[in-house]
Amino acid sequence: MLLKLQKKTLIKSQIIGYAFTLFVGISILLLISQLYFDLKPLLNQESDVFKNQSAIISKRISLLKTLNKDKIYFTEEEILDLKNQDFIEDVSKFKNADFKVQAFTSDSGGFPMFRTDLFFESIPDKYLDVDSEEWKWEESEDFIPIIIPENYLNLYNFGFAESQGLPVLSKNTISNVEFNLQISNRFKSKNYKSKIVGFSNKINSILVPDAFLTWANKEFGNSSKKERTSRVFIEFNKPSDEGVLKFFNENNYTIGKDKLEFSKLLFFFKTALFFVFAVAIIIIILSIAFIFLSLNLIIQKNKEMILNLFSIGYDYKQIAKFYQLTISLTTTISLFLAAVTTFFIRGLYLDKISSLLDFDKQGNILFSFMFIILVILLLIYNWMILKKIRRVCEKGR
Amino acid sequence: MQIELKNVKPKYMSEAEVKASDIYLQLRVVFEKGKKYLIKANSGHGKTSILNFIYGNNLNFEGEIKYDTSFEGKKVFDYRKRNISYVFQDFKLFPELTLFENIQLKNKLTNFKTEKEIEELIKRVQLLEKKDQLVKNFSLGQRQRIAIIRALCQSFDFLLLDEPFSHLDSENIEILTKIIDEELENRNASLIMTSLGEVSFFKYNCVLNL
Repeated sequence: MLLKLQKKTLIKSQIIGYAFTLFVGISILLLISQLYFDLKPLLNQESDVFKNQSAIISKRISLLKTLNKDKIYFTEEEILDLKNQDFIEDVSKFKNADFKVQAFTSDSGGFPMFRTDLFFESIPDKYLDVDSEEWKWEESEDFIPIIIPENYLNLYNFGFAESQGLPVLSKNTISNVEFNLQISNRFKSKNYKSKIVGFSNKINSILVPDAFLTWANKEFGNSSKKERTSRVFIEFNKPSDEGVLKFFNENNYTIGKDKLEFSKLLFFFKTALFFVFAVAIIIIILSIAFIFLSLNLIIQKNKEMILNLFSIGYDYKQIAKFYQLTISLTTTISLFLAAVTTFFIRGLYLDKISSLLDFDKQGNILFSFMFIILVILLLIYNWMILKKIRRVCEKGR
Repeated sequence: MQIELKNVKPKYMSEAEVKASDIYLQLRVVFEKGKKYLIKANSGHGKTSILNFIYGNNLNFEGEIKYDTSFEGKKVFDYRKRNISYVFQDFKLFPELTLFENIQLKNKLTNFKTEKEIEELIKRVQLLEKKDQLVKNFSLGQRQRIAIIRALCQSFDFLLLDEPFSHLDSENIEILTKIIDEELENRNASLIMTSLGEVSFFKYNCVLNL
């Protein structure tokens, strides 16, 4: 009887409108969250030994500078100026080897014999994303790990090996090849074992651990020579800042622009996700506000009926129950449909992505996330409705 | 159960207005179980108000009302379900429901009468053929009869009647007084009734001027 009476008070179009907007909002929210969750490992995947959002800058070499080499070095003021830019998190200098380096293989290796001059540079270890176990050096050790540009390997594989009839090497094979290093100055020399522990796309240099270079420069270097910096390594906090490229152009610094691309893309992708996420939140908030308004309207319109029910002995919990059930049921159906819909959409994009990219499937968070939202919404609704009906009953006395 | 009033006065009436009252601003007025009370007054003297105060539907009064020992929100509510029934002057019926549904709306809450007993009562007040018609099409007199039957569909120690026969002819009044008398006797319950003047529908134990 109570049901029949209260059923007539509902405004069906408003309930359906609420259910639909909630469905849309929750679907987008779930989809975006799941998409982010699914793609996160892909976004964080680093093919490079360098952490993201970092780059190397040097001064542009012009005709004038080839004559006066001093111009290619950064002065202390210039480095300080870089540090002061608000899109730059940190600046570190490259350290150069101030001694002669030669690499060579011994006959036992089964690897083509070679002997070549090399140069070393180093940057603080914290910028490198290699295994810290491998990337260390102590004075007592005669093994020096090195990192070479990936280009060197390509140059060898597709150029040198091809033309000289030598075998091509994978990253893995070359990482297993041990060779010798000889470092020397005019007075003394020392031999070390070495292996390539990593490859880099970002940096065109041969890197050794900072600790080794510091030690070796002291031991083998020309101590009277002033330390000079021709390249600096910078870490961005906002690589997409419009000022970045402008700043580098104005100062005649060169920066590998494509090196910023991935960071930029990532930033745009994240911004787009965030934007859609915000839109979804707004839609959900609007739908909730809408149903509150609708409920308020229903309660105000039927105030007399509610008061009469209260007068003949129904308590406010009994009166509220119908509205609580209606809203709870509508919300549950809406959210469940949203979860099912996004589940299917996820299936579609997973198919697409896994056919394009090599990627690990992540867990499905749709239903658990939906359930959490549902519990929160139901708690809010039930509490609000009870409070509203109670207020009407008590105000009527 | 008994109902006790101490120094009660509507907040919206002055002391001068209630000077002659047997109830308002009286030190102690007690309604006991098993007795019939008539509260009479002219229009505008707060007859409906006093019943609403007692029922806990209107709290706009000074002084103190007690059911047995207390008069608190939840308790009033429990009493409303078991100990006090009220025939409102404005009936408080639901026009969108049928006659029978209106009565069942209350009876479902209390499960006090069987469907058959209800039908018997409807028949006695000559409305059986209208049992399944919507109340919004009923006359005031018909509505009054339904409101009275509905009020009987619960246990009670006190039955509050607010000018219950104002829209009824003498034949119907006779039928209803008989029904009410029977129900009161069955429950050994009290009656508190308001009316415009001295009326002799029941044998009152006490007549009070408001």
